[in-house]
Amino acid sequence: MGVKLYKEPKLNNPIMVACWPGIGNIGVIAVDILRRVMAAEELGEIEPWDFFYPRRVLIRGGELKELEFPSNKFYFKKTGKNDVLFFIGEEQPSDGARAYAEGTKAYEMANLVIDVALKFGCHRVYTSGAAVAPIHHTARSRVWVVPNMGALIDEVKSYENTVLMSDIEDRNGQGNITGLNGLLLGVARKRGLEAICVMGEVPIYIHGFPIPYPKGSKSVLEVLSTALGIEVSLDEIDALVEQSENEIDSVYEKLPSDIKEQLDKLKYVTYAKPSEPEPITEEDKRKILQEIDRLFKREPGGD
Amino acid sequence: MSEGQPFKLFTKPKLESSSLVVAWNQDVGKVGAGVVDYLNRKLEGREFAEISPEGFFSLGGVSVEEDIAQFPESKFYWCQENSLVIFKSDIPQYEWYRFLGLVLDIAEKYCKVKEIYIVGGMVSAAAHTMPRILLSVVNSTDMKRVLSHHELVSDMDYETQDGQRPTFSSFLLWAAKRRNIAGASLWVTLPFYLLAADLQACKKLAEFFNAHLELSIDLSDIDEEVARQNKEIAQVRSKYPDLDGYISKLEGNLSLTVDESQKLVREMEEWLRKRR
Repeated sequence: MGVKLYKEPKLNNPIMVACWPGIGNIGVIAVDILRRVMAAEELGEIEPWDFFYPRRVLIRGGELKELEFPSNKFYFKKTGKNDVLFFIGEEQPSDGARAYAEGTKAYEMANLVIDVALKFGCHRVYTSGAAVAPIHHTARSRVWVVPNMGALIDEVKSYENTVLMSDIEDRNGQGNITGLNGLLLGVARKRGLEAICVMGEVPIYIHGFPIPYPKGSKSVLEVLSTALGIEVSLDEIDALVEQSENEIDSVYEKLPSDIKEQLDKLKYVTYAKPSEPEPITEEDKRKILQEIDRLFKREPGGD
Repeated sequence: MSEGQPFKLFTKPKLESSSLVVAWNQDVGKVGAGVVDYLNRKLEGREFAEISPEGFFSLGGVSVEEDIAQFPESKFYWCQENSLVIFKSDIPQYEWYRFLGLVLDIAEKYCKVKEIYIVGGMVSAAAHTMPRILLSVVNSTDMKRVLSHHELVSDMDYETQDGQRPTFSSFLLWAAKRRNIAGASLWVTLPFYLLAADLQACKKLAEFFNAHLELSIDLSDIDEEVARQNKEIAQVRSKYPDLDGYISKLEGNLSLTVDESQKLVREMEEWLRKRR
C-alpha cells in the first residue's frame, strides 16, 4: 500500500489543494478546473488496488490487457511564489454500502495524502466540498469555511463571500463534514498541518440528485484562487453554470405552482437571519422534495 | 494453527511445483464449485489451509440458502500425486486485494504454485442438447500458448460495460500477473434453464483438467450422471409438450419470448427440485 511518485521536484513553500467527489461534485469541479487552468503536471498517485474494487477490465484476443481502478493522483505547479500541489481522488474508498469514506481505509488514504504534503514541505492544505443550504438556485452560492486551527479564523473570515459555521442560524459553530474532504482536516491537524475546508453551497432541493452544481463550484474556485493568490479565468466555469442553470430552470418551470411558490421564498432567505416572507416549514420542505424527486425521475436526460 | 495470521495452516503440503484451480461459491450455476468438489473427491484432496473470514466478510449474521444457514469459507486442498492445489471460496466483501494477496502468498509459499486456473460458468441461450463451449481468458501470451492445443474459444474481446464491474476472477488473474504467475480463467457455457444443475458443464471442465493436467481420472461416473440427466429431461419433454416446444425452438436456433423463457426456467427448476 503506498504512493508512487513519478518525479520529485523541489517545491517552494507549497500549498496543497486536495479533493474527493461529493454532493454536486462541487469540490472536484472547482479543483480540477484550477489544476487545468494552472497546467499542473502529474506528480504521482496512490496505488488504488488496496482501496478500490476495479471498475473496468479490458480483454483483447482472449488476453487480459488492463484492469482499471479509480484514480487518485497528485499534480504540482511551480508558480514562482507559493507552489501548488494538487490531489484529486476519483472516488472515496468505501465498503460498497456507503457513498462516503469512513473507517480504516479512509484514515489510511488521508494519511498517505498528508505524507506527500509533508514530504514536499507543504505548510497548508485546502480541501473542498459542498454545504447543503436553504438557498435558491438563482442565488450566488456562498462558501462555508472550516479551519482546523483557531489561529486561522481571522484569515478565513477575510475571504470574500464566506461564512463560518457560527454565522449560520442554529448551528452555534457546530456541524459535520462527511467523508475524506472532512477527515483530511482532522488528520492534518493531528500531524501539525494547517488545513481549511471550503464548501460551496448547494440548494437543499437539489443536493439529493446525482447532478453537478457548478454554481457552488464557482464560488469555491473564487475563494481558492484568492487564497492561493492566483488569477483564474472563470470562462469555463461560467459556461458550466449557465448550462446547469438552464437545465434546473427547465425542471423548475414544470413544478406545480404551489411548490414553486414555496421554493421562491428561498430567494429572500438569508438563513443567518430569516425575514419576510415566512420561512418554509418542515412539512413544506417534505412536499417540495417529493415533488422535485418526482420531476427528476420523470425527466429524461440530464446528468 | 498459525497464531496471529489471517489464515490457518493445518499441514504443510509437500509439493515441488503445482497448479492451482480456483472456484468461487457465488459462481453462476455453481459449476466452478461443482467441478472442484468433483476433482477433490476423485483425487482425494486434503484440506491444508483456511483463510479466516475476519476483515473480509461482514459477519453480521448468516445468510440462509435452500433452508440452510451459510457461512463464508475459503479453503485450500492439495492432491500430492497430481501436484494439484484447489482453492474454493466465497467472494470476499471487503479488502479484495489483500484477500487475493493472501491466496497467492499461500499458493506460492506452501505449494510452489506455477500456474492458476480459475473456473466458472457463463449463461448461454443454447439448448442443453448442444455441446458446452469452454472459453478462456489468459494473463500472458505464454499461457495462451500452453492452452493452444485444447479446444477453447480463446480470442474473446471484452470491455466492462457501464453499470457493470469486472469479475473477481479477472481481479485474481490480474493480481497473479503482477507476480508473474501464469493464469487463465475458464468459462463454460451452461443453458439458462439448467443453472441449478448442469452436469454437462461440470463434465466439460473435468475433461479439460483431466487432459491438461494429466490427472487420469475415470470420468465414467459423471458420464453416467449426464446420461441419466439427459434421459430424465427427455422424459420431461415428452410429458410436457410446451416445454418440449420451447427446447425444440432453442435447438433450431430460434429465440424464446420472455414469457416462454421464464416458463421454461420455472418448470425446469421445479422439476430439478423434485428430483433432488
